[in-house]
Amino acid sequence: MNAWVGTILRVDLAAKTVVKEPLNIKDAHDYVGARGLGTKYFCDEVDPKVEPLSAGNKLIYMTGPLTGTAATSGGRFEVVAKSPLTGTIGAANSGGYFGPELKYAGYDGIIFENASESPVYLYIKDDVVELRDASALWGKSVFETTDLLKEECGSSFKISCIGVPAENGCLFSGVLNDKHRAAGRGGLGAVMGSKKLKAVAVRGTGAVTVARPEKFLDALTNARKTLKAHPVGGSGLAALGTQVLVNIINESGALPTRNWRDGAYFPEANETGGESLAEKYLVKNKGCFACSIDCARVTRVPDGPFKSSGEGPEYEAGWAYGADCGVSDLAAICKANFLCNEHGIDPITMGATIACAMELYEMGAIPESDIGFPLRFGDPHAIVKLTEAVGRFEGFGKILALGSYRLAEKYGHPELSMSVKKQEMPAYDGRAIQGMALEYATSNRGACHVRGYLTSPEILGVPIKVDPFVTEGKAGLLKLFQDLTALIDSTGICLFTTFGLGLQEIAAQYREAVGTDETDDEILLKGERVWNLEKHFNIAAGVEKDTLPPRLLREKLPGGPAAGKVAELYVMLDEYYKVRGWDSDGVPTPEKNVELGIDA
Amino acid sequence: MKLKFFATYREITRCNEEDIPVPHDVWELLTSLGERYGAAIRVKLFTPDGGKISDDAIILVNGRNILHLKGKDTPLDEADAVSIFPMVAGG
Repeated sequence: MNAWVGTILRVDLAAKTVVKEPLNIKDAHDYVGARGLGTKYFCDEVDPKVEPLSAGNKLIYMTGPLTGTAATSGGRFEVVAKSPLTGTIGAANSGGYFGPELKYAGYDGIIFENASESPVYLYIKDDVVELRDASALWGKSVFETTDLLKEECGSSFKISCIGVPAENGCLFSGVLNDKHRAAGRGGLGAVMGSKKLKAVAVRGTGAVTVARPEKFLDALTNARKTLKAHPVGGSGLAALGTQVLVNIINESGALPTRNWRDGAYFPEANETGGESLAEKYLVKNKGCFACSIDCARVTRVPDGPFKSSGEGPEYEAGWAYGADCGVSDLAAICKANFLCNEHGIDPITMGATIACAMELYEMGAIPESDIGFPLRFGDPHAIVKLTEAVGRFEGFGKILALGSYRLAEKYGHPELSMSVKKQEMPAYDGRAIQGMALEYATSNRGACHVRGYLTSPEILGVPIKVDPFVTEGKAGLLKLFQDLTALIDSTGICLFTTFGLGLQEIAAQYREAVGTDETDDEILLKGERVWNLEKHFNIAAGVEKDTLPPRLLREKLPGGPAAGKVAELYVMLDEYYKVRGWDSDGVPTPEKNVELGIDA
Repeated sequence: MKLKFFATYREITRCNEEDIPVPHDVWELLTSLGERYGAAIRVKLFTPDGGKISDDAIILVNGRNILHLKGKDTPLDEADAVSIFPMVAGG
């Protein structure tokens, strides 16, 4: 059926009913799939003012048309709900093997409604779909839950689940699958926990067929060759993983240090980079479904106080626990990151929240008695202890579990939360990379690096090199990157394929899979439609305006190549709204709504 | 002058960082590296005809990409730090 399998599962957790309904194929055409289609279903069915942790919020799993096909890295699916961290539309995607398995079972997506009174999990084996008791799983970690469900259902089942922090409302808890892959940002795990839904276990024996198999094969063969030939998508990411970014971002003077307080150069960064990770702790590479990039790291700290094993850390997590906390002990960073996967929490927000607490403690705003020990920048034991505290949801961990904004507000300094719309900014200083400043401010899910990723052209030179200090032209470039990433997330392939592929190769795979003759530009327009739909939801939800923490707007970088610079957000923001076809308050105009076919 | 190698350049040079006599400009520096480390580094630093710096090489002088300075003609002096990366990415 043209890359779709044609059925959506609608699960009422209160009534304990499961209904199979046909996929809305018109919406699938207009909003592509995954992030776009999940958001479309959500916006049509949920009041934007809904309390995120109430039964009225819905939780949607949605695959894309390319999920489960042989398309390049076509294994992703999206989790959508209103975010309890930001109050925005919450959409986070994940790789691994869960998404394809859901389609092989015969379902393009799942819509969870209402809340169960007791813990349950959803069992799916092809046509058999049922809610089962999960009382024995409640209180278990992600790893324990995954192992227990594989024991109960069968080792071939793919498991998506939450950990203990999500059960208890941690606002940055994620939805994990295949143990180490995460729909990580925005606290969607807490929405799942509020519904007493512990997990989804799925096994499918069907297949996904595409509309024009021969042309699809040509398109994906071309895409795979192009990706393989690229220095990053071909061998670069496999060799050193995403942590390889640490040194280039640091040398560019853009690695935020000690809660962004001490500028953007961390002298010990090299000790935490991808080169050190490969030399000391890398066991092997790992890839997701249908992936030729293999960027994931299986890692092991063999001895010492932080002896542990797992996967990662990825660049953003390595920064959050490293430079942002002033920690240079890579073993501690690895262990803290492993704990995030085990307990199902977002390591970016976790590390950044600890960094915020460190600054608050050092300035005397948090008493030692609240924490239980002195919390100073640079303490490797602290990042592990506090992650464990959130993982077990105990002590000071209960306060940290609300994220840096609510922490900083509680102790009287909300301005020290390095967040946008209450979600923590990742590992690129917008004072040194101006486009990233605009990206953080305008991201529809709060600060985020993968809602555009202007670091690629501004620092890495992919696909073109632009000057990170310049503001001119960044608005138009960001719009293009935002629309393109919205499209890619919606197809069900991995964003990392853009380290080698462009719109042309991605649109070609989409076109032949679903059987459309739309042009590349018409397909890209769907990404813009997704972006605008998300914006409409946020406006209706009453989300705060697009801005940045005052530290980025007023505190000049103290050194490095960008010394003396602040984020020149307001130089770029007006132009951004214009190129988006929005009014000066950032509201899409009626003309733009008509152009995109959005009923607003 | 300080010279820093990163990622795959470390495998070729077996060096993370060193102090070197100051070359006149970036082109002179890269040419000397080509002589010192041979074909393994030349194929990464230069285009196949040897006439230009490869698009896949990222050269920073004091943290600024030479594409935003004077390219291969970017002058160097004693206080400068040059960082050499292959094309990398992540996120």
